[in-house]
This record gives sequence, C-alpha cells and structure tokens, in this order.
Amino acid sequence: MLKMNRRTLLKSGAASVAASSLATPLIAQSRSLKVGSYGGYFEDSFKSFVYPEFTAATGIEVESVTQPNSADWLVTMQQAASAGTVPTDISLYGRQQMIKASRIGGLIAPLNVSAIGNASNLDSYFIFEGPEGPQGVGAMSWFTALVFNPNEVETPASWADFWDTDTFEASLGLSNVYSSGLLDITSATFFEGEATMMSDDGILAIIDKVREIKPNVTLWWNAESQMEQGMKNGDVIGGQYYLDVANLMASDGFPIQPTFPKEGNLQDYGSWCLSEGSEKSEEAAEFMDFSCDPATQALMSRNIGTAPLVDQSATDLTDEEFAFVSGSPSIKPAYEAYLDNETFIKESWDKMLAEA
Amino acid sequence: MTVAEDIDVAADSPAKATRGLTRKGALYGVLSALMVVFCVVPFILVIVISFGRKVEGAAWVWGFSFENYQRFFVGTLWPDEVTFLYLQQLGYSFYFAIIASVLAVLTALPFTLLLTRLKRSTQAIWLVFILSSLSMSEVFIVMGWDILLSNNSGLPKLFQVTGTTQWLKDVGWFQSLRDIGLANPRNVKFKPSEFATILTMSYLVWPYAVILLYPALSRLDPSLSEAARTMGASRWTVTRTVTLPSIRLPLMGTTLLLFVFLLGSYVTISVFATPDKQTTAVAIYSNIRGSNLNAPFGSAQAVILLISASICLYFGHLLNRKAEAR
Repeated sequence: MLKMNRRTLLKSGAASVAASSLATPLIAQSRSLKVGSYGGYFEDSFKSFVYPEFTAATGIEVESVTQPNSADWLVTMQQAASAGTVPTDISLYGRQQMIKASRIGGLIAPLNVSAIGNASNLDSYFIFEGPEGPQGVGAMSWFTALVFNPNEVETPASWADFWDTDTFEASLGLSNVYSSGLLDITSATFFEGEATMMSDDGILAIIDKVREIKPNVTLWWNAESQMEQGMKNGDVIGGQYYLDVANLMASDGFPIQPTFPKEGNLQDYGSWCLSEGSEKSEEAAEFMDFSCDPATQALMSRNIGTAPLVDQSATDLTDEEFAFVSGSPSIKPAYEAYLDNETFIKESWDKMLAEA
Repeated sequence: MTVAEDIDVAADSPAKATRGLTRKGALYGVLSALMVVFCVVPFILVIVISFGRKVEGAAWVWGFSFENYQRFFVGTLWPDEVTFLYLQQLGYSFYFAIIASVLAVLTALPFTLLLTRLKRSTQAIWLVFILSSLSMSEVFIVMGWDILLSNNSGLPKLFQVTGTTQWLKDVGWFQSLRDIGLANPRNVKFKPSEFATILTMSYLVWPYAVILLYPALSRLDPSLSEAARTMGASRWTVTRTVTLPSIRLPLMGTTLLLFVFLLGSYVTISVFATPDKQTTAVAIYSNIRGSNLNAPFGSAQAVILLISASICLYFGHLLNRKAEAR
C-alpha cells in the first residue's frame, strides 16, 4: 500500500507544480488562444464546429472558456484584472456589456483593425469604437423573438396581441430584467421606438404600457431555462425568447413557435474583445479575421443558430437556413438609454413589477 | 472532572506545560486568523462598499456617501418622488420568513412528539432519513416542487385529468381562483404564488425543525403529562399547561433560527414568488451580480437586512428572558 505522509504529499505537490510550469512553454510554442463563449449548447457547438476549423486554418489551438452572457462576466474580469490574471484572451460581449467594459477601463484592449482584413465585410456599426480606439469586432447576432404555443393560440400578428387579456390571461413568459428588451419592444409597438426611450417621460410612458400587460404574465423569468421549462410544461403559452433556441426546441417537437410580428423582433449582437493584459493580440487578430469571414459566419449560423453579421448574399446560406436564424424587421435596443439612465430605468421598472 | 485535570497538570513537567500552551496559542492564532480572513474581512468589505458610488453605464467606485441608505428608504428620485419599493421588499423578506418558519415548527412539533414515542430503533431510522434529506440543496427542492406544480407534469394535470378543473368551472369557483391568481383561462395554476413560496420554504426547513426540536422533546418526562391526565385534565389541557410550557424555549429558539435562515432564501423566492412579492435577498443579487453592477446599493441593502435580522433576534432573546423569568 502506498504510504502517504506530509512529506510525500509535499513532494508530489512540488512535482506537479514543476510539471505544470514545464508544460507552459510547450503550449506557448504551439500557439494557442483562450476564447470565452456562453456555456452549454452554445459553447459546445463552438468547440465542435468552429474552433477546429480555425485550428485547421491557422494552426492556433483554442482553449474554450465558459463565460456568462451578463454583467457577471465584467465582475469576474475586474477581479481577475486586479489579481493580475487573464481568464481569456478573447471574450464575447453583448454590446451593452462591451460599452460598460470600455467605460470601466482596463478590461478590454484596443485592437489593430488593419490586421483583421475580413472586418471590412461587416457594417462599420459592428466595429466598436471605444475611448481608446476600436475595442470590439462583431461576432454574431441573435434575436429575441415573439414565441407562442401553436396548439393553444393563433399566430400573433403583433406584439400588441399579448396585451389581450381574453387570450393570454396569466399565460405569458417575459423577462423580468429591465434591460432585456421588453421596453424596446413595447416602445416599437406603441410609441416611437428608440426615440421614446431617450427621455425619462418616454421611459415612464413605456413602463405604464408594460404595466397593462402584467395580468397576462404568469412567468417573469430571469434565467433562460425557466422560460424553456415554462413553454415545455405548458405553464406558458407565449412570450419573448431566443429565436435560435425556440427553433431548436420546435424541431425537437416541443409546442413552441417563433414568429416575426409586424413590429419585428429584438436584435442584439455579440462582439469579440481582446482582454487587457493578454499577450496573444496577434493570435486574437487572426481569430477575429477568421470569424468575420462570410464562410465562418455561415458556419456559425448553421451550427449555432446565430444570425450572420454579413449580408445573406455574401454567404452560401439558403433562404430556408437564413429564415431559421434571422428575419425582419429588427428592433434595436436603445443601448445609450440603458447605459446613461441605468439607475432610473431599473428603479422605475422594479417599481412597476413590485406593484400588486 | 476538575480533580482529574488537576492530576494531569501536576504530573506534567513544567517544560511540557509551556509547550502545550504555545501549541494552544498557535491553534488559537490560526483560528482567529481564519475568522478574520473568512468572516470579518468580507463583512467589513460589504459595509465599506455600501458607502460607494455607482457610475451610470459602468460599474462603481469607492466613496463615502449615505446615498445608498437614503435610496433604500425613499428611492433614487428623492426628494422629487418617494418610493417604498425597497422597504416593501424588506417587508416581504420578513413576511415569508416568519410565516414559513412558524408553519414549519407548528407542523414539525406534533410529528416530533409522535416520533419520540416510537421505539428507539424506529426513531433512529426516521432521524437518519430526515438528516439525509438535509443534504438536498435549495435548488433541488425548488426544482422538485416546480415540477410537482407544473401544468403538464404536476398537480394541475391531476386536476384536469380527474375532472376537478371542469367541476370547478361548473360550480363557478374557477372564476374565484382566477381572481386570486391561482388559475388561467385553461386550468388551475399554483405557481408563481404565495402558496407555492410558503409551501416550499417551510418544506425546506422542516427537517431542521424536527432535528432541532427532537432533543428537547425526547427529554420530556412522560410521567408529567400522565400525572396530569390521572388528575383529570383533558388531552388539550395537558398539552396547553404541561407540554408546551416545558418546551417553550426550544420552540422559540427553533423558530428564530429557521426565520433567520429563511430571510436569505433566494431560489425559492425568485422562482415561486410573484414580482410584487420579491424580497431583499433577490434585490441584493440583482444589484450586485445582475445587469447593472450596483454593488454599493446591493451592499447597503445587505447591511440593512442584517441589522433588521439582528433587531429581530434581539427581541426574540428579550422575550425568551422574560419568559424564563416568569
């Protein structure tokens, strides 16, 4: 039997430390990159379909890191930065989080866009200009769609249908986070869209309208999985949910169907950002270049279900494939309002939700 | 006991005694260092952060202002507008914790009383079963109840299949259920609701209630109540005048402990409570880790929750002392 005492334990510990420090230069020689993406199905698809293609094209190994799609990640990055570590070389940020990261400072590094030739395929809107120059390159886009249970209700033609209590009393699932799009959707449906979001009075008017939908909401979800369960088990027969996941659920036979009502669906997008302190800026540029290639955009649409950031005509996506991940019209979130008027919007929203 | 200790000390040489002392000292040193690192420092950090300042559109910075505390009581728009949103959330923290802990203790009490009257071996089996159920986390329990109360897999399905839903519709009670939020036009629904929240919270702490009450109840002398019975007291009178007074303290203590435990429950509230009945614990999380990164306000809420809980515990303690003195 192996006798383990304190001394042998210390020895083996020292040996494993030595081994791991020996291994590091080897990895560095073979060029690698730590890339963050949202966990679960999303990350798995990246690992199986996208990263191998990238490694085949450039010889750079990708180490996948799970990161949340929320401000949580900013907290983690802040803590890591003050501890002097870099959890990822590239992280995936939604636009709002990316702007926050650039305003906080010291989290995302400026990029050398000239090294990312394929970035010219993207609309300039998707190259984010921060205070220190370009700080983010668009990665992919996703929709929050109107979904409904086709066994229970007719296809809604407009978001306004959700306000109809005769059909939807205590039956909807909507997000309880102020910045997850219901304000933008309501504004696009009943008001002037983004313009209304820019003033306090506009915000209050929109919130008043959202207040009217409360009797129809049974689930105010904060985690995606709650809405998924709600639709699957019939507690919820309509609401807002991610287009790609809704399509996947529908193809698995669950009673859910996404649709583009006349006002459209909410479109947000993610960007690749280089972590401050990362020594892999060259590899990162190669990765971003690869990501902006229309072929990669199509690859992601097919395997992950995200919408491409380039024109459909630039890709080889069929109309059917394109309709699975994208559609029109699209409602753009009022990023500026959410950022500059954060506390006011959150408190007014929370107050509305908290009313009996 | 003291004599034995005296002998030990006398037998040891003085040199050995000093060595023992330093070892003890070192142990205390390590323990206090652990306490400082894992309890005191995070605690002080929360207090210090609560005076910090939020930067709109970014995160927060260190600072010294009472803004966050003021916001808790009157809202961010004060003095133009007042909101008691955060006080309301604090109120619901207490509301749910009090009802659920009292309910758990009230239902655990008769169960534990019966348990103590069983054979020793049967008691042991029950206790092991209850202890093992403590290993289930809040998330598991909430998931379980979530499924049990779901439309297609739980109680509402049962209502529909057995025709109870139809019967409720026929006799006209269905509309009343809709009015109080326990039904949608198609079927009954039990979540989100106060019913589901309180049920799950009491369920969550019920094993604790049994475990905490068991020692006191098993020490109860059955001859006392037997004597009272032979003197002609009814069963209820015995319970009221003999049993309950003698377990007043453990009863009080258990309720207080469960109450404090439940003040911080997060998963149950966020899944089962309607948005108008969310609690401070949920609000703290949504400020610190949620989308707006307002750790200072979250910390201020945490400090206030802590202070209110301490006040409650203090009053509980006072009540206990008063009861003891009588």
